[in-house]
Amino acid sequence: MKVSRRDLLVWSAGAAAGLIVTPVPWKLLDDTSIWSQNWPWIPQPTRGPVEMKQSVCTLCPQGCGMRVRMAAGWPVGVAGVSSHPVSRGALCPLGFGAHQLNWHPQRLKTVRHRGGASAWGDAQAAFAKACKEGPVVVIDGYPGRAASSMLESFAQKHDGGYRVVLSAETRALTPYEKWSGVPASALGYDLENAKTIVSFGAPLLDGWGAPGRFTRLWAERAAGMNDPQLRLIQVDESLSRTASRAWQWVPVRASAESALAAGVARVLLEERLVAWRGPMPSLTLAEAAERTGLSADAIRDLARTIVARTPAVAIGNGIDPEIAALNVVLGAAATPGGIVRRSKRGAAYVPADAAMPSVRAALIDASVPWDFAPQTDAEVFRFAAWDGGSSRADWLLPAPGFLEELMDVPTAPTLAAETYAIAPSLTKPPAEVQSAAQFLGGIDPSLTPVDKIIHSRCGNLFHARAGTLIGREATPVAKIASAQALEEQLQKGAVWVGEAARPGGWRCELKEWPAAASGPPENLTATWSAPVLPPLATKLYQESSLREMPARRNA
Amino acid sequence: MSARYGMVIDLDRCTGCGSCMMACASENNVPPLPQATARTGLTPMLVRKASNGMEGGARREVFIPIMCMHCEHETPCVKVCPQQAVEVDKATGIVMQMPQRCLGCRYCMTACPYHARYFNWWDPAWPKGMEKSLNPGVASRMRGVVEKCNMCHARLHTAKEKAAAAGKREIDLADYVPACVEACPTGAIRFGNLADPNDAASKEARSPEAFRLLARIGTEPKVYYKSKEAWVRALAESKSGSVPEVKRVEAGHAEVQHG
Repeated sequence: MKVSRRDLLVWSAGAAAGLIVTPVPWKLLDDTSIWSQNWPWIPQPTRGPVEMKQSVCTLCPQGCGMRVRMAAGWPVGVAGVSSHPVSRGALCPLGFGAHQLNWHPQRLKTVRHRGGASAWGDAQAAFAKACKEGPVVVIDGYPGRAASSMLESFAQKHDGGYRVVLSAETRALTPYEKWSGVPASALGYDLENAKTIVSFGAPLLDGWGAPGRFTRLWAERAAGMNDPQLRLIQVDESLSRTASRAWQWVPVRASAESALAAGVARVLLEERLVAWRGPMPSLTLAEAAERTGLSADAIRDLARTIVARTPAVAIGNGIDPEIAALNVVLGAAATPGGIVRRSKRGAAYVPADAAMPSVRAALIDASVPWDFAPQTDAEVFRFAAWDGGSSRADWLLPAPGFLEELMDVPTAPTLAAETYAIAPSLTKPPAEVQSAAQFLGGIDPSLTPVDKIIHSRCGNLFHARAGTLIGREATPVAKIASAQALEEQLQKGAVWVGEAARPGGWRCELKEWPAAASGPPENLTATWSAPVLPPLATKLYQESSLREMPARRNA
Repeated sequence: MSARYGMVIDLDRCTGCGSCMMACASENNVPPLPQATARTGLTPMLVRKASNGMEGGARREVFIPIMCMHCEHETPCVKVCPQQAVEVDKATGIVMQMPQRCLGCRYCMTACPYHARYFNWWDPAWPKGMEKSLNPGVASRMRGVVEKCNMCHARLHTAKEKAAAAGKREIDLADYVPACVEACPTGAIRFGNLADPNDAASKEARSPEAFRLLARIGTEPKVYYKSKEAWVRALAESKSGSVPEVKRVEAGHAEVQHG
């Protein structure tokens, strides 16, 4: 049969008309779309038995209570523990995504030496060699743990130093160390009894101390009240998150917090608004007004407001001796509602930023914030669970991540009473991972391992017969049958709380008004010591205008 | 008896920390896709910031957590959906989205006066191994569908199962707490049954300080807000008929933009 041009045109027109009415292409398109929406390789949640474990967050020294939901042996969600005496059910926003951190693309899983791959054996040999050749400094970011005591013993045995990178909250308490002889690590704030809190740039509602402690206190005694039981006065250069929620925001020029503290102290002393007598700040009221950008009358009003409702306490951000001196003037040192001594123990640590002359090597624990760089030419052995990038350490050593190692949790900075908790290892770390404590234990087998130190600490707590164990219910330690029972309860997420600090017992001698010093502003992400953020936090930073993406933090 | 689950969010207590957003994303297996932006990402719970428009010491800011308002009356998304993929659950009052029925036309996103709906532009994906950290109670949603807050429906199911195992018909409200409510460190979000006049959330919803966003359009949202500040309450009724949006001008400063 011959196909004419006319036939071809008729068939083409017929096919075009048929294509419009036939459902086949549309059906194919729909099926392709549905099929491609449900690729078999699209990730699905792991199925398996679900159980709840109670533990303590170890990502920063605040030790918030954490309920971890586990499915098939993996952590699949975290929530706060409402019965926890410090965090009271709250966690920081980053904590809610912490269970995903171990899967972060920047998780360190292999030993690295100056950018290249290496092995644990080489790192151990290099460190052992360094120990023989000269003093070795060990730097810790979370002092007081059982692992810290291993690090400290090692440093002492090998003629090196044990240095500590203190949290911003503890650094704010260091000026009292000089004036009273009491170590900053034994001091805390009795916020629960304060009636006026003046924060000089401290992010009280945004990552200062355990999030549940102050935010809950503020929500109960101050939020939305015209005449709150707790007056929160925030001195800040911009309308920060805490300033926007404070009872009063005092806007000052950048880095003028110190000058304002001196100005307020001068008014208090000149107008005899406080009982304390002692050295007067050298700064005049006019000078304070000029530096802060406030009027002299505004500073006078602020001083009167602060003492209108006492106890009043000032809280600085980082080391600022003038803010500490203002507390002495206010009578807030060693009084209820002010700064209290929570413990007779407490060590005075050598700060890690002090000079390190003629050191052969420095070992940095994974708890030290990633941004910390030691001022030394020594060979640096840096432990970290994640690679935060641009590290200048000679050795980058993979450490256990979140919930992967047994840790004990000593008293958090700022608390008014001592606490003790244990975070058990809930998941297995990758094979190539070990902590600084395990590494040092491999070099010097005579060191007491972490589990034995925790065991003996539990024994000590039991034999002291003081304090209360808070789990599902509160039990005085005196009523607990054995040290083993105490340890078992702690392993299951209970928290030991010591006696509340008694006022007095220490004094501050302020012989002369201190010189001004101010640290850089710090915020929530600065106190987050892990070098990376949970991927979900990065996502939410990207997709909302709630927070600025923190600088130098990795996705 | 049918319940009407709802929330009252005390804006005077909200510190804008973002815990609710994190807990929500984690509970609902929201993938952390690096290519997502503020326009294309998924944030079933989104905390926005608004100010009183003043400058200097007189400036005040407020944080407003915004999620699906679970509109009771003339629910805009239900009215426009050509696939019956959205419905108001008669037993709970929760506005439910069924991804299997959704064809991805996004009419509902346009119709929603609260900008509380999000489109899945990509296949869900996590960094290698991270799928082990997903919540087993919630399935990951496919590309090409719209999604939103469902008041942690998986948690409601768990509470129902618990009640059924105990031989009860009604759930104990203490067993059903959405992730954002549980996460809020200041207790600013109160969740409850608005149909029960004795419920704490229901009582708060009737207080003179309580208000709803765009109440004048008559959608009867089941998410209430509360503030003692008159300027905060006034934000709820912006003239352009949309919720206050925040435009980032420069670090640390924001201005209210209606649109």
